[in-house]
Amino acid sequence: MKKPLVAVTLAAAAVPMLIGVAALPRPGDPTAPAHTHVAAHYIEAGARETGADNRVTAVLLNYRAFDTFGEVLVIFAALAAVIAVRSPATPGGRADDMPGPGPGLPISPVVAFIIRLTAPFIALFGAFVIFRGHVSPGGGFQGGVILGALLVLLSLVLGRGAERPLLAVPLARWLQAAAPLAFTGVGLLGLALTGALLGYPAEPERHALRELMMITLDVGIGIGGAMIILGLFLEMRGD
Amino acid sequence: MSHWLPLAAFVPLVAGALTPAMARGRPGLARGWALAVTAFCTFATAALTRRVALEGPFSYAMGAWAAPLGIELRFDEFSAASLFICVIMLLVLVYSGPYVRRALPATRIDWYYSLLLINLGGMIGFVITGDLFNLFVFMELVAVSSYALVAVGGGRTAALAAFKYLVAGAVSSVLILFCIGVLHALTGSLNMADVARRLATVESRPPVLLALAGLTAGFLVKAGLFPVHVWLPDAHAIAPSPINAVSSALVVKLGIIGLLRIFPLFAAAGAVSLAPLFEALAWLGAISVLAGAFFALFQEDIKLMLAYSTISNIGYIVLGLGLAGELALTGAGVHILNHALIKATLFLAAGAMIHQSGHRTLHDLRGIGRAMPWTTLALLIGALSIVGLPPTAGFPGKWYIALGALESGRPGFAVVVLVGALIIFIYFARMLNAFYFRAPSHKEMLGVSEAPASMLGPVLLLGALCVLGGLLTHWPVALIAPAVGRLAGGE
Repeated sequence: MKKPLVAVTLAAAAVPMLIGVAALPRPGDPTAPAHTHVAAHYIEAGARETGADNRVTAVLLNYRAFDTFGEVLVIFAALAAVIAVRSPATPGGRADDMPGPGPGLPISPVVAFIIRLTAPFIALFGAFVIFRGHVSPGGGFQGGVILGALLVLLSLVLGRGAERPLLAVPLARWLQAAAPLAFTGVGLLGLALTGALLGYPAEPERHALRELMMITLDVGIGIGGAMIILGLFLEMRGD
Repeated sequence: MSHWLPLAAFVPLVAGALTPAMARGRPGLARGWALAVTAFCTFATAALTRRVALEGPFSYAMGAWAAPLGIELRFDEFSAASLFICVIMLLVLVYSGPYVRRALPATRIDWYYSLLLINLGGMIGFVITGDLFNLFVFMELVAVSSYALVAVGGGRTAALAAFKYLVAGAVSSVLILFCIGVLHALTGSLNMADVARRLATVESRPPVLLALAGLTAGFLVKAGLFPVHVWLPDAHAIAPSPINAVSSALVVKLGIIGLLRIFPLFAAAGAVSLAPLFEALAWLGAISVLAGAFFALFQEDIKLMLAYSTISNIGYIVLGLGLAGELALTGAGVHILNHALIKATLFLAAGAMIHQSGHRTLHDLRGIGRAMPWTTLALLIGALSIVGLPPTAGFPGKWYIALGALESGRPGFAVVVLVGALIIFIYFARMLNAFYFRAPSHKEMLGVSEAPASMLGPVLLLGALCVLGGLLTHWPVALIAPAVGRLAGGE
């Protein structure tokens, strides 16, 4: 009885949604408002106004930097949520109410060797994606994911359980807040230089400083993101 | 000092992210840090509220990018809710000290304060932004931190309640995001004022209608209106008591404020008329008033009863929105603020009782009026307010909504306002009877001691605010009058 009812409800919700979407401007239509209003300005003047050749970065770190600030905090809140709900009642103990898998099998020496072999290359590529994010595709989020995956791999090979983690807990917690910290530094510097929070100096002679501010944000987002991915992995693997 | 506006949201968010690093294993420091940050926000939002009362709404261009290119923060009369948010959060933090020491594992306490600060920053950001996508980002900050705070106390039921909340919250968030996308496709803009301007010239009707319906539905789920309230009772009853005060008094109101933000977008749109939607909202609100009160009547668990009473009161506010006259909108606006005070009083007082006695049903709590006289007194003041008796804070909102119903020639809705209050009054009588006049079910009840000062203080202060809120109603009414005028005039 319940399943047909769910199906009917879903269909009843889907039909008006499809009708509404069908009447939207066609995707890719160059005369659609989505391409002629704000976006047109971003494409036309974005690189000049922000100093970021990558228009996505221009939007992400300049025009709509406050959204990005909120997003890095959503990511941080996800980590805080997982730790707050899953962390054991006593330090070093097991989560009381969540069953987890037992200690896994030891990592095969082949896997360990491959991870050690590829690690420097992964790290280099992650750093490249972060540092070139304002001119070419990439940026803090993408590079952060690459570094985060690397940290997860390394913690499998080099990690020594919950008692002796890869990074000392106090340091890890500061690094997990790297993105909000970077936004604070850049945001307040912008406030001092331009009179607006998260503003960038627009004078041509300060182009290097503007670039440095964007790289700082990208590095903060990258390190913070990588640490949060590692934190989520360590918290949820169940040992 | 215009920089107070962005900093009011920026500072608590950064502070929240730094809490676990700064105060690892030092719960006292985490609480002091959270209190200091919230005090800063209270100060900032008070200054902003003063400015909006004197000068009217004002904006701040983030990063000096003029709207619609950049994100505009806009502090209008409804944004003054941020002051209420900060004051209640301040009291919740004071109250949390002794509460979490017993109720939470020690390893979770610094994360608890971290999540509370992120929750606070999200709520402030939500009410001060003038940008649709920015609104969504802050909504998600509030949502993610709320899911976790529901489950932070541990236990299987808490995890289940939080998961139910997460599913309802995620579905409504996706719906809202989708509709913001539809609006962007139609107008090419995300700035609220700009979208409103450009929507006026959009001729194609179905997508505008879809955006309006989807945003309304999404925010109603966030507000916990009957019949999309199913996530609310468990989430609000199982969470730690200080969190109840935040989620039931403040977080559900964001759904309502979201509605207040999106209706003006469509007011000038030629393609749709808001009148049928308002009619539907009035009916949904009225049903929610009665259904919430009715379900509350059958609850033995005092926190569950309060959760259902929230559904009833959200119904009052939505009814006021739906009636859409100036009086009814004033009532809805005042009740958004005053219900926050009342529900915080009730949940914190009930939480203190449960904390001290270890019991949570009316039957088990018999005789507590003698053991914890002050907490019981505050709880009963809160209950009187939720009934809506003058001169308490619950009265003016309901009074204006009833007047609004009469003004627009809908006496039936005025009767609903009255009946809803009467049903809750029955519950009030049951509480009074149990707390003062029945013999205790448990002998040790008489030996229960009054809550510690840092829990009792906030409870008593909120109880006093429940009375003051009723006596000083002309302040919020005068404050929101221009915004109400704009809202009512825009239709």
